[in-house]
Amino acid sequence: MSVYFLCLILFCIGLYCVLRKRNIIKIIIGLGIMEYAVNLFFILIGYRYPARAPILAKDQVIANIVDPLPQALVLTAIVIGLAVTALLVAIAIRIYEKYGTFDITKIRKLHG
Amino acid sequence: MENKKAGMTLIVKTITRLTVGLILLYGIYIVLHGHLTPGGGFSGGVIIALSFIHLMLAFGKEVALKKLSEVWASILESLGAIMFLSIAALGFLGGYFFLNFFLSKGRPFTLFSAGIIPLCNIAISLKVGAGLFAIFVALVLFKGLTKEK
Repeated sequence: MSVYFLCLILFCIGLYCVLRKRNIIKIIIGLGIMEYAVNLFFILIGYRYPARAPILAKDQVIANIVDPLPQALVLTAIVIGLAVTALLVAIAIRIYEKYGTFDITKIRKLHG
Repeated sequence: MENKKAGMTLIVKTITRLTVGLILLYGIYIVLHGHLTPGGGFSGGVIIALSFIHLMLAFGKEVALKKLSEVWASILESLGAIMFLSIAALGFLGGYFFLNFFLSKGRPFTLFSAGIIPLCNIAISLKVGAGLFAIFVALVLFKGLTKEK
């Protein structure tokens, strides 16, 4: 049970990073930490202690394997997170070119 | 290599020259054993792309773009998508989507087994590897293009 609370703490670290930091790069890193906290939570839900990876190997019966459904879901979530991170970094580069800073409190001139 | 100023220091360049081939081979190994062990097309493709990104970070963008230019990355990415789609659509000749009728399934737990799944893994790895490298190249070249305006 305590590992789920550790996931919550990790998520809260990412949330603090997004809400409190001023640098855009640090906000992107905070979003990544939040995303990985959720992924870790999904994997831990499917995990049981005396179990092995859900892969059929030689002369092994199908028994005592962890749930493969959250793992497939998290693999898709990692791919989507990669695309979202690339988009955020591209937007951050454009902001740096236009304003010359990564500080979100100095970005005030929103014309055009 | 020819341009001494581009890229990182001599230590990083030497270590990169030793390790970049091993990283590429490990990615190919992950792709080819995707139906037997953990891993597969996506993971192997990411490792293959990381070997080229490693080269670009250590030596500068000219050396990496000489190995795999952005035009070729785009071509390989499209080729992976078309290969996956044609493997899937080839099943219509036998009846339905993704039907394997032209490759023998082989003995289980050996390298040449599982029908069309290794071919699908190779197509996915081409798509993912070239696509991830193209994203990185786009982010690197982005700044130089707009600065000229």
